[in-house]
Amino acid sequence: MSSILIALPSKGRLHEQMNKFFESSGIILKRSGGQRTYSGFIKGIEGIEIIYLSATEISSELLKGNIHMGVTGIDLIEEGKTSASKDVILLSRLGFGKANVVIAVPDHWIDVENIRDLSEVSSEFRSYNNRRMRVATKFSNITRNFFVKNGINNYRLVDSAGATEGSPAAGTSEIIVDITETGQTIEANNLKVLEDGIMLKSEICIFSSINDIWRDIDLKPVERFLRIISARSEALGNAELLFDYNKDDKDLEINLFRGFNSKFVNGSPNTGESVSLITPISMVPSCTYYLTSKGYGPVRTTRPDFIYNQNSQSWNLLKDTIDSI
Amino acid sequence: MIKETNKIIDLLGGTSALAKLLDVNLSAVSNYRKKGFPDRLHYKIATLCNERCIAIDSKIFGEFSNTLPAIDTRPLETLSEVSIKVIESLTGDDFELIDPPVLVSADKVLDRLGENIADKLYIFSDPAGSRLCLRPDLTIPTCIHYLNNGFNGIKKNYAYHGKVFQFQNPSSNEPNEFSQAGLEIIGGNSCIENEIKVFFRTYKSIEQSGIRNLNIIFGDISLFSILIDVLDIPAIWKDQLKTKFWNDKNFKILLEELTVKKRLNNQLFQKISNLDNDTAEIFVRDTIGLLENQSPVGRSLKEITQRLIKKSQEIKTDPLSKSTANLIKEFLSISDKPLQAIKKLKSISKNIDSRLNSQIDSMSERIEMMLELKVDLKNSILSLEKGRMVEYYTGFLFDFNSGDLKNNLNIAGGGRYDDLINSVSNIDNIPAVGAAINLDRLEKIISSEKLI
Repeated sequence: MSSILIALPSKGRLHEQMNKFFESSGIILKRSGGQRTYSGFIKGIEGIEIIYLSATEISSELLKGNIHMGVTGIDLIEEGKTSASKDVILLSRLGFGKANVVIAVPDHWIDVENIRDLSEVSSEFRSYNNRRMRVATKFSNITRNFFVKNGINNYRLVDSAGATEGSPAAGTSEIIVDITETGQTIEANNLKVLEDGIMLKSEICIFSSINDIWRDIDLKPVERFLRIISARSEALGNAELLFDYNKDDKDLEINLFRGFNSKFVNGSPNTGESVSLITPISMVPSCTYYLTSKGYGPVRTTRPDFIYNQNSQSWNLLKDTIDSI
Repeated sequence: MIKETNKIIDLLGGTSALAKLLDVNLSAVSNYRKKGFPDRLHYKIATLCNERCIAIDSKIFGEFSNTLPAIDTRPLETLSEVSIKVIESLTGDDFELIDPPVLVSADKVLDRLGENIADKLYIFSDPAGSRLCLRPDLTIPTCIHYLNNGFNGIKKNYAYHGKVFQFQNPSSNEPNEFSQAGLEIIGGNSCIENEIKVFFRTYKSIEQSGIRNLNIIFGDISLFSILIDVLDIPAIWKDQLKTKFWNDKNFKILLEELTVKKRLNNQLFQKISNLDNDTAEIFVRDTIGLLENQSPVGRSLKEITQRLIKKSQEIKTDPLSKSTANLIKEFLSISDKPLQAIKKLKSISKNIDSRLNSQIDSMSERIEMMLELKVDLKNSILSLEKGRMVEYYTGFLFDFNSGDLKNNLNIAGGGRYDDLINSVSNIDNIPAVGAAINLDRLEKIISSEKLI
């Protein structure tokens, strides 16, 4: 029986963020041989082989179906997809490396606010200038697919190796498609992101390639690995709210779920119980305000290290998908 | 299973041909016909099929059908008899047979065909750093041939044949390289005589090959753009309708929006709507914050100002009337036998500007000319939507397909593209009309028709 190949980013900020994530998950990555080798294993989980590659290589190896799993960005997977690609599924978001792929146009274009405007401008541009509007980007696939969907056809892509946001001012393109965390670099270069110009929300995730490399594989090590990963990544995105459920309020559970995407750990509570509520981090201030104003309190909040569910979503997803091959 | 095996043997040329290919006795192949292929030959036969673009049922060879070489090259050392006859018939004595370049500038091809075809191209850089691609068709290389010879409007009749290269989804079983033969009339006048000449020569060449079950679909892209031109609607809607025309879904959405939408009004539009062109430009320059001799990034001051003026007019206009929207829909839905379609077109357009009617008359003239030339139009239709999916033609166009209308295999296509030369050079106003035949497909269809 062969072992499972998982590719992890080998260098840069991504490598560091990923190491931090695994460390905090209690997963210990070991290198075979010295620190400088590009292969390794996970301490305590046999049957998994780690290889270190660049994030771009990881995406292309996943899409070619050469590795079982890999950690890389949604942007790189989407960009790498072609008609010849193998299926790749997203198993778990790791909660870091968040950035958006956006369309930005020069500030000077005061008549362009959204994609519809851009579509009109692109065809006018062609009749004024007898050439297509140029879009500088390193995301040619994502751009092409997005433009097809939005009915923009009068454009040409210009490959950009780096500093994409400088190209309109330099005259090598009219507009850009680029990835950005905050949008600051884009603004600083006198460009503006279109209102509906977010093409893709990217994040670092663990993906799996779905094809017959999973044949004859012992899945137990993957189950253990994925349970830890998803428990950790779920914990990172959530807080635990503790308070006394001191009066009978039938609508509380449904209101907390609808308004704040929050769930009681032990199902519907009984009056008088101490309860624990799992709430997304971003909802904590508004949710605690809601609870205290309803007369519950004191509400204590803590950050769990792990949230292990009976059913790990990412493991179930992988198992079901492999079963259906 | 045995039925599939026999089909494969036939497609590979029959018992004796396969015996030769495999270097075995005739009796061995006869045995395969009864008992199926032996395991040791699976890979070899799957490869032979793959090289000849013969689709194989995965039941026959199991996983072999998926593990064949990724790059499917199919050298045709000599032209087959069918191809030679087609090329001879196309060329006649009045078309010059040329050998256009295989390597062409990737930028020129993309300028012409648009980025949406980029994932079908074999693009690479040469050591000098130029971005090149293997020709995806022979039309662009023929134009380049015309321009390289220094011609600038003089009429040239060209015929050509050769390999073209288009990446295909590996699961589609379509070859990545195949042979085309075709014609182009570049330069001269933009007249229907040239269109009919190209059409009829293509028709004759296909017909003489002996193919059965041929049907033809006609269209004329210019009918739609003239209809929009003569309608009494704001200029900005005309542009939008023409731009979205190429995508049916987006077009429908736009049409719906124009009839109901409350359009966004902003201060910029309001302010600009009362200004004349010059004052408007100064206003826009000040709003952007440019100095007097500075120009905006990416577009000219004029472009931005003119668009704002058009937008401000759009706000003042009432929504598109339901009857106009319906007229456009009805117009595009026409698809019928050519003479009937023309009749319908005429009845829809009788109260519309005469420019449209003269274009419809040209269409009936073409059909009449074809009937005089005894073109068999029994299985043909004229569809006003024809040509919408590819933003390529500018006027009359036609497609030759094999099979019934449901299960269509395209064999040849062509038409008028008067913007062709302009899109690969700076030279304007050189008309062009042409057609191309997919030789591999034609041969495949003829040989499969013989089997039935």
